[in-house]
Amino acid sequence: MKQTYSFILLLTFLLIGPVLSLADEASTEPIEPMTQEEEKTFDVFPMIADSNLARDEESPFVVAEQKEPDKFVPILGEAAGEEDLASEEGEEAAHILDPFRPWNNAMFHINDKLYFWVLKPVAEGYKRAVSEPIRNLFYNFFDNLRAPARLVNNLLQGKMNGAGNEFVRFVFNSTAGLGGFADAAKELLHIQKTSADFGQTLGRYGVGQWFYLVWPMIGPSSPRDTLGFAVDRAMYPFSYISYTSISFGAATGIAVFETISDTSFNIGDYEAFKKAALDPYVSMRSAYVQNRKKAVEE
Amino acid sequence: MKKGVAGFSLVLLLMSPLAVHSAVPLDMVKEHIDKVLEVLRDPALKGESGRKVKKERIQAISEEKFDFTELSKRSLAQNWDKFKPDQQKEFIRLYKSLLEVTYSEKVTSYTDEKIVIKKEVNLSGKTVEVQTTILTKTSEVPIYYRLIEKDGNWKVYDVVIEGVSLVSNYRTQFREILAGKTPEALLEILRNKVGKGQAS
Repeated sequence: MKQTYSFILLLTFLLIGPVLSLADEASTEPIEPMTQEEEKTFDVFPMIADSNLARDEESPFVVAEQKEPDKFVPILGEAAGEEDLASEEGEEAAHILDPFRPWNNAMFHINDKLYFWVLKPVAEGYKRAVSEPIRNLFYNFFDNLRAPARLVNNLLQGKMNGAGNEFVRFVFNSTAGLGGFADAAKELLHIQKTSADFGQTLGRYGVGQWFYLVWPMIGPSSPRDTLGFAVDRAMYPFSYISYTSISFGAATGIAVFETISDTSFNIGDYEAFKKAALDPYVSMRSAYVQNRKKAVEE
Repeated sequence: MKKGVAGFSLVLLLMSPLAVHSAVPLDMVKEHIDKVLEVLRDPALKGESGRKVKKERIQAISEEKFDFTELSKRSLAQNWDKFKPDQQKEFIRLYKSLLEVTYSEKVTSYTDEKIVIKKEVNLSGKTVEVQTTILTKTSEVPIYYRLIEKDGNWKVYDVVIEGVSLVSNYRTQFREILAGKTPEALLEILRNKVGKGQAS
């Protein structure tokens, strides 16, 4: 597991390095005046301030989702030329660059096989062996450990209500909820958890997704969300107590169990997703971008 | 008395066409959800055979409430006019089967979850978004229905689950496929997909 993390870090540097230098080169080129539409498009990638990257056809970058606002062209008469439906639905910003598509595609397939060959059979066995009330206890336990990260991110995003809720939830569930095994805050105080993560925090600060990046095990991500994942993980109690009080092997075991526990509640979702998709890779990328966009906007 | 109330309501309706407009989509979504829940909670339908009947009934219910022509046009966007009229017809038919199978599959995986209808947001003069939430055991799943008015009826033209628009998701896929392939090739992919979906 330790090796995996170092491997991922190394890869991040290897991958980001050339892109950074590319971005530098591009920024020295003269900047042509942009049309309004182009400006709109690049608001989404504040990290690549230079427009040449996405416009230049020679560039290795592929504008993956929507190069320009996708205007709905009515053909059958109704609603002809009434309004720009695309902008009305806020869809024009749901796009991401995909310059490392071969890598992403390979990782997508590895994750697919990991799910069907390893994760799903194990999670199904766990689901069969352990009754739902007991599985709920473990779900709550792991979820309670993620509360500190949510609390911090709520604070960073200036969501004081959310931060207050997470604080009360963490304190109440850790005590009255017997170490987090019962979601007493939800059952007794009716306080729902929030969904705040560091990738979202960065997004609210104006950091763009930059480009699409799929990791083994972790799945769809981007440089921003990869950093977000690492920061949130660092705030996860088992990440920092593992070196002092429990062995690395035990911490890894706990992480594996956490994954199985979470998966046991979602068996069938990925299958349904694949069944609905014509191109699962493209469908997942689109779903990821849209979902993260909403997370940042809320 | 009843007549008086009815007459009064009618006058009110005529006086405030806008208020009526905004009330209808929400009711339509509520009606749709109630019908679906009725099917899902039917105690007579149990096990695998019961689920099959449930799926069929949910498909019949969605047929009335969804506007598949609108869904198809929006999903193909600029590519719509690359299709000949008979290809457009076949596309609508295949896309509809795909969506119905997917939708009923997804819906029948729910059983005792609570659904809350939150609010209605105007997107434009003719389109409205009705926001609902499914409360599952471990999370809240926001599901937004987008409706369009045609000839006085509100019909669903998009479903947005956790920020992911069905139309937008398929549009990206269709665009990528049509960037390298002909409309006929896309239809072939859909034929295979739908054929498989019905067999299983």
